[in-house]
Amino acid sequence: MAENPLPLSHSSATSKSREPLFRARGVTRVYHTGEVEVRALNGVDLDLFEGELVVLLGASGSGKSTLLNILGGLDSLTDGTLTFRGKDLTSATERELTLYRRNTVGFIFQFYNLIPSLTSRENVALITDIAPDPMDPEEALDLLELGERMDHFPSQLSGGQQQRVAIARAIAKRPDVLLCDEPTGALDVKTGVMVLDAIDRVNRELGTLVVIITHNAVIADMADRVIFLSDGKITHIQENPVRRPVGELSW
Amino acid sequence: MRPLDLKLFRDLAAMKGQMAAVAMVMACGLMVMIMERGLVVSLETSRDAYYQSNRLADLFCDLKRAPNSLRVRLSHIPGVAVAETRVKGSAVLDIPGMKQTAEGTLLSLPEDHPQHLNLLYLRVGRLPVAGNRGEVVVSDAFAEAHGFMPGDTIDATIYGARERLHIVGITLSPEYVYALPPGSIMPDNRRYGVFWMNERELAVALGLEGAFNNVVVDVAPGGDPTAVKADLDRILTPYGGLTTYDRTEQLSVKMVNDEIKGLRTMAVAFPLIFLSIAAFMTSAALSRLVHLQREQIAQLKAFGYSSRTIGWHYCKFALVVVIFAFLVGGALGMWFGSRMLMVYHPFFRFPVLDFYPDWPAFLLAVLASAATSFLGVLGAVRHAVTLPPAEAMRPEPPAAFRASLLERIGLQKLASTSFRMALRNLERKPWQALFTTLGLAMATAIPIVSVSMGDGMDYMMDFQWRLAQRQDVTLALIEPGSFSVINDMRGLPGVLNVEPFRAVAARLYSGHHKRRVAITGLPQNVLLSRVLDVHGKPVALPLSGLLLSKQLAKMLFVQPGDALRVEVLEGRRPVLHTTVSGTITDFAGVGAWMDIDRLHHLMRESRTVSGAHLTVDSAREDEFFAAVKDSPRIGSITTTRAARENYDKMMGRMMDISRAIFFFFSVVVAFGVIYNGARIALSERARDLATLRVIGFTQREVATVLIGELTLLTLLALLPGLYIGSELTSLILTSINTETMRIPVVLTGRAYATAVLIVLLSSALSFTVVSRHIVKLDLLGVLKARE
Repeated sequence: MAENPLPLSHSSATSKSREPLFRARGVTRVYHTGEVEVRALNGVDLDLFEGELVVLLGASGSGKSTLLNILGGLDSLTDGTLTFRGKDLTSATERELTLYRRNTVGFIFQFYNLIPSLTSRENVALITDIAPDPMDPEEALDLLELGERMDHFPSQLSGGQQQRVAIARAIAKRPDVLLCDEPTGALDVKTGVMVLDAIDRVNRELGTLVVIITHNAVIADMADRVIFLSDGKITHIQENPVRRPVGELSW
Repeated sequence: MRPLDLKLFRDLAAMKGQMAAVAMVMACGLMVMIMERGLVVSLETSRDAYYQSNRLADLFCDLKRAPNSLRVRLSHIPGVAVAETRVKGSAVLDIPGMKQTAEGTLLSLPEDHPQHLNLLYLRVGRLPVAGNRGEVVVSDAFAEAHGFMPGDTIDATIYGARERLHIVGITLSPEYVYALPPGSIMPDNRRYGVFWMNERELAVALGLEGAFNNVVVDVAPGGDPTAVKADLDRILTPYGGLTTYDRTEQLSVKMVNDEIKGLRTMAVAFPLIFLSIAAFMTSAALSRLVHLQREQIAQLKAFGYSSRTIGWHYCKFALVVVIFAFLVGGALGMWFGSRMLMVYHPFFRFPVLDFYPDWPAFLLAVLASAATSFLGVLGAVRHAVTLPPAEAMRPEPPAAFRASLLERIGLQKLASTSFRMALRNLERKPWQALFTTLGLAMATAIPIVSVSMGDGMDYMMDFQWRLAQRQDVTLALIEPGSFSVINDMRGLPGVLNVEPFRAVAARLYSGHHKRRVAITGLPQNVLLSRVLDVHGKPVALPLSGLLLSKQLAKMLFVQPGDALRVEVLEGRRPVLHTTVSGTITDFAGVGAWMDIDRLHHLMRESRTVSGAHLTVDSAREDEFFAAVKDSPRIGSITTTRAARENYDKMMGRMMDISRAIFFFFSVVVAFGVIYNGARIALSERARDLATLRVIGFTQREVATVLIGELTLLTLLALLPGLYIGSELTSLILTSINTETMRIPVVLTGRAYATAVLIVLLSSALSFTVVSRHIVKLDLLGVLKARE
């Protein structure tokens, strides 16, 4: 919660003094659909640091999803370079990217994407079974206050509960980065706030780099930094001197 | 083209692999249907036309000897249209270049008038001219096997006298469509031929001058065949007449009919299996399509398309599959059908044997396939069109799952996560799982039928030749003779063992059931030609009573211990009241056996023999055959090795073709069912699988999740498949087995292993194909889109 003492200071000053987790230079992604060429990303330069909570803000088609996909090892670059902890992701093979996603990245999706045939615990266990240094599924679910819902199937959970299971699934591997694609897009305000609170706590308590994409400008207030995208370019980066407690957010 | 039809073809193109798999299974069904039904119709059409145009007789009777003056009496029997008397005998043939002898049946041709019945169908040459010595026409299968043409000659021993036969023509006969050598179970075109020659000459050669020993009768329209039969028997009995029999008991006719009967069974059983699997596959694939397109359906409804139009649109998917299957199955069926007719050629000799597809039956099968597919599709469409458009356009809530039965009973510890997913998916869609399993079980069952049939035939032949008939040669005398012949045989070069037999024609009665068979008398404790029980152990010849073929006991509705009346049709024609002392196992023809001394006693004859079974030193075989060829009293020579070689040659090709077809079927079904199932599962779980890929599962791990479920179904299907295969084998064999040949149900580990291997390999193949689609999973789409 917002009142909790911060284990680390996330001011931009301290961040910039350290090596970035991600370093993107001139990142460009061009899609060819038929004869039409779409420049989804057009020369993005960006550093992302450990422990930060970053919000990518932009309209539809601004390139924020493409950037998130590229950070998550789901999409490739047309031009530019991207490194993670100094390692080049640009030239990684399919297998290396799979391992990168498995060990490093936690994903949270707009529609939760839980496996309907598995219970909450089993959905989390899917990851903890294959990750190198995972939490217990129970521990991850307890962290999201889902101890009571461990043996429920997705169809027996509300949207907010499903999203919290998805967060538990994402963090159980102790990822270096948590990528959230419109995590509250399918939820009402109250539930949305609960989910954001959970993400915020993961960021504070585990020190995980969190990247949230949204077109909901209100969410930007909870971030250390807000990156504005438009037409595949970063228009500007706003640094919030103080992160607004999630409990105060409303839209 | 209307927009909906454009959509139809584009959607079909997108799922072409799956549709092709379904269509191929359906095509297999239609192919068997058109092939087997076509063979039935072709054989029936050729048979009926041939019998009619060449006036096959209605009744047949063999007798010992009757004067030609009796002819008039026979033709005056009420109900007789034509009665033709003939002379019939056998010859031992010495073919240049053949070490062993061949055997011929000789039949007379009337000299003063053309044939009235069983008209020859002359292929080449002419009929013998009255008065020309030694002219014969020969059956075309025999001529073909030796390359004989008119002008060639054959040396024959007829009734002990050497004759030179001049071939003047090559012919077919409606009496010998299927020409079975006496005592054999399979045509042997090299070692058996039928010859027709002038009546007077043949009668002289057989010592039947002014007499006849065979009658064929055409019953007048409206005549009562049973009454005619009774009259014939009454008149001919004093002349050594054996029982008159009608067409259905005539050997060649019976063999043709048996073959048609077998084909009929296959024409129903297999198409039914394939078409029902295909119907299920179609409806599963299209239900999934309809499900995926529920939003599109909602939009179409919102635009104002009627439910009926939409329903018909989805039925057209099934229709395209059916039409495709119709074309492929029809073409393959016609092709295989005409190939099969070529395989029939050595066995069945018709003047013309063309392939006639049974279009009505074929169309019926196509319509039935279409109808069952429509039912499946319409079920799914009805669900989709009854949803209000607004609701259908909203995504569906997550599918409801629960812990599977195995877990509910407390076995969850045993199961890995992906195994649990598989179990729960299966339990959520039990019908789909059941039908997939059934389809795979059928794929398992099909090769069992084919391998078991081969194994059954091998078993039968092994039983016949290794256990029962252990002689090298069987010599039959022209007519029964004294025991001294046996001593003469012992003196032939190279002979090691001689065991005599006595065979007499008889009629067995039990209640109103009767049967004409040969009763064979054998010495006790023979080593060569033995009667065996089901385990292949020799059965002791009873001192009273008769041993019957199990099949004969079945036909007479008797069991060991039951009373039997026996009318012997030879010699003094004694009548005997006796019992069935036991049954024996044999697989070809039916017969009855007793102790040879008892038979002599019954016949009130001294030690008369009909022939003997011999073993011959293989080093002196040539000498032996040379000597036998010249011995005047021998009517026929049957060598076991030649019979066995002939069997291998004749059956080999047939078995190879049918094995290839069955193998192909099994692969198509197993591959098709799994591929279809995997594509449906892939489509249903694309989102889950892509999610797994995104969160760090490798392609292989994702494939394991998908394949796990189908592997489980495949493994579940194997056991029932083996069971169904066994049952199907015995069902099919029971229905195609006949009095002439009975293939035993032999289920070996080899058959089961073959089936399991074929299904597992086909499954593996289709997994490989489907795995390629996992690579193409849309990882980015997952993040946004919802099914």
